[in-house]
Amino acid sequence: MSETSANAEKAVEASPASALPRVGAGEDRIGCLMRMARDLFSTRLDKSGGRIRLIALAMLAAYLGVAVKLVALGLSHDPPQTLRVAAEQAASGARPDLLDRNGEILATDIETMSVFAEPRRIIDKDEAVELITAVLPDVDAKELRERLGSKKGFVWIKRQVTEKEQEEIFHLGLPGVGFQPECKRVYPNGPLGAHVIGFVDKDNVGIAGMEKYIDQQSLADPHVAGFSVDPATLKPVRLSLDLKATHALRDELAAGMERYRAKAAAGAIIDVDTGEIIALESLPDFDPNDPGDVKDPEKINRINVGVYEMGSTFKALSIAMALESGKVSLNSRIDARDSLRYGHFTIHDFHATHRVLTVPEVFTHSSNIGAARMALMVGVEGHQAFLKKMGQLDRLRTELPESAEPLVPKRWGELNTVTIAFGQGLNVAPIQAMMAVAALVNGGNLITPTFLPRSEAEAAALAHRVVSPQTSESMRYLMRANATHGSAGAADIPGYYVGAKTGTADKIVSGRYSQDKVLTTFMAITPADKPKYLYLVMFDQPQGLPEDGGYHTAAHNAGRVAGRLIERIEPLEGVPPASQLPSQPFPLLARLGYGYDADKAGKE
Amino acid sequence: MWRFLHVVAIGALIASAAYVYSVKYQTIYASEQIVKTRHLIDKERDAIGVLRAEFAHLIRPDRLQALADGKLEMQPLALSQIVAADELPEPAAKVDSIGRKLESLGLLGQSATPSAGVAGATPSLR
Repeated sequence: MSETSANAEKAVEASPASALPRVGAGEDRIGCLMRMARDLFSTRLDKSGGRIRLIALAMLAAYLGVAVKLVALGLSHDPPQTLRVAAEQAASGARPDLLDRNGEILATDIETMSVFAEPRRIIDKDEAVELITAVLPDVDAKELRERLGSKKGFVWIKRQVTEKEQEEIFHLGLPGVGFQPECKRVYPNGPLGAHVIGFVDKDNVGIAGMEKYIDQQSLADPHVAGFSVDPATLKPVRLSLDLKATHALRDELAAGMERYRAKAAAGAIIDVDTGEIIALESLPDFDPNDPGDVKDPEKINRINVGVYEMGSTFKALSIAMALESGKVSLNSRIDARDSLRYGHFTIHDFHATHRVLTVPEVFTHSSNIGAARMALMVGVEGHQAFLKKMGQLDRLRTELPESAEPLVPKRWGELNTVTIAFGQGLNVAPIQAMMAVAALVNGGNLITPTFLPRSEAEAAALAHRVVSPQTSESMRYLMRANATHGSAGAADIPGYYVGAKTGTADKIVSGRYSQDKVLTTFMAITPADKPKYLYLVMFDQPQGLPEDGGYHTAAHNAGRVAGRLIERIEPLEGVPPASQLPSQPFPLLARLGYGYDADKAGKE
Repeated sequence: MWRFLHVVAIGALIASAAYVYSVKYQTIYASEQIVKTRHLIDKERDAIGVLRAEFAHLIRPDRLQALADGKLEMQPLALSQIVAADELPEPAAKVDSIGRKLESLGLLGQSATPSAGVAGATPSLR
C-alpha cells in the first residue's frame, strides 16, 4: 500500500508537468476515491486514521444538519392552525359584567357552545345538511346548504346551542363540524334600566347604551386586533344606577301610564350634588335579552334622545335668570292683570289671576305672562346667554352614545324669548332640563349628568358656577312654596320637605298647539332645604280621569306619580322621613328678611 | 484502581440518568395536573357565572314584587312606620302579670313560692 501512496504522490507531483493534466487529475481522483473506499472497509489498524476522519466528517455534517434544522425551526412560526384561529376570531368575546351602584348584576356573560362547520372538510354536504337540520329544526336547510357550499373555510351553523343539541350534533359524528365555546350576554333583570344598559349584537359587541360606551372605552373591537380577552382579567363596570330605585320607577311609571292611558312615560332620578343618574326609565321599552325592533321610534330613550317643549318647568329657568340678573327680587311685583299682547300673539295664563303677582306667585300660579315679562326684562341676548350657560342650547353628551340636539329657533326674536320663557318654542332633551334644574337647586353648580359613579369631590372638580348661591336658595324656596301652596301639592310627601314644579305643555299637532294632547312634566326635589335628589316624571298624552274632573294637567298625573316615587324610593336610598320641618331651611333669604317660611310665600 | 473509578462513574451516570428521568416524568405529571386543575377552575368559574346570572334573574325586583303581592299578606311599607331609634318609646317596667292576677283572685297565699325564712331552707341547718 505504501507503494501506491508513493505513486500517488508522484502522480500529484508529476501532474503539473503533464501534457494532459486534466486526464491525469481525473485518474488520480478516481484512484484516490478507490483508496478511500478500500480504507473504509480495511481492518488494518494503521489505515484507520483516514476512516476515523471520514466518519468524523460525516458526523459533523449530520450534526450541522441538525443544528441548521433547529435554527430553522426556532426562527419559523408555528404553522397557523387556521380553523382554530378562525373559530376563535368569530366567537363572541368576553365582556365585563355591568353592576348597579350596590353591586347587583345588570349584565353578565355566560358560556355557551356554538356549532360551526368547515365546508372544505365536509364530504357529503347534502347528507350533512339533512342530518344537522334533523337535530336543529330551526336552522334553515336551504340557507345552510348554501353556506356549506361556499368556499369559506369556516361557517357558523348555529350560535349558542343547548347542551342537548350539542350532544346530538356530536353523536352525528360529522367530519368538519365542531364546537366553539362562546360568551353570551344575559340581562337578568330584563327590561329594567334597558335604555341605560343598552344591548349587544350576536357577536357580543355593544351596539347601544353603556354596552357600546364600554366598547368604545376599552374593548375596541378585539376581533380585528386579533386577540381575545381573557374573561378573568375583565373588571366589572359599576354604573350609577340603583336597581331597586329603577324598578320602583318603572313600576310606578307603568302603573301611571296605564291609569292615565298615556302614550308614553319617562322618568329619571338624579343626584343633584354629583350628577349621577340613580334611575332612568322610558316606556315603552324593550328587553335587552331580545331587543327585537330597536329602530321603533316609540321605544327610544325619551330622557336622552327625545326633545320636548318642557312647558312650565322651564319657568324655573326664566325666574332664576331674572333673579340672577338683579332686575327682579323675590319681592318684585309683576303685572299679570291683562294678557300679554305681542304682535298678533296673545299670551294667556292657564290659571288666570288678573292681578299684580309677586315673584313667588308667578311661580306657584305658573303665570305665563309673569315669566314672559321677566324674560323681557333680561332681554333677548341675556336670555340666550343664560340658556347657553345652562347648557340648554347645545347637545348634551353623556356616556350614553345616544343624545339629541335641542331644537333652537334659528332666528331668535323677542317673541321667541317670550314663549321660551314659559317653555314653548325651545325643544330640549329632558336630561338637559334636569341638569339645569339640578344646577339651580344645588347651590348654583352645573354638573354634567353621568351614568357612572362619581364622588362629590370629582363632581366639584367638574362643576362650574352658573347662578349665585342666593339665587339657588330662592329657587328652592319657590319650589317649596309651590309644593305647599301651588300646583305641586300632589308630591308634597310629609317628612321629605319636597319642592316641585309642574309643567303641562300643549303638544304640536300638525303645526298647531293642540288643546287636548299634552306632555306633562313634573320635577321634584327632596329635601328643598338641601336637595339630594331631583325627580323627573313625564307623561305623553295622559288622559284626564273623571275623578280628577277630567283634568290632564301635570299635577294630576305626573305629580301624583312623583309623590309615590318619593314615598317609595327615599326609604330605599336610606333617607328616613324627617319627623319635623327643618328649623332654618333658607338661611340666606332669612338674613335678607324674606322669612324662611316658604309655606307662607304663596299666600297673599 | 482506575477500573473501580470507572465503575463508580458509570454507576453515578446511570443513577443520575434514572433520577433525571424520574424528575422529568414527575414534572410532566405535575404539569398535566396543573392543566387539568386550570380546566376545572375555568369550568367552575363558568358555572359560578351561570349560577350568579340565574340568581340575579330569580331575585329580580319585579319577580319578587309579583311573588310578594301574590303569596304574602303584607302591605307596602308606610312612611309612618319608619321611626328613628331615639324616638322609640321607653320599654315599660316589667310587670308580673300572672302574679298580679293571682293576687287579685286571692290565690296568691296558696300558690306563692314558700319562703325559707331567715333560718335557711335546708332542714339539716335548722
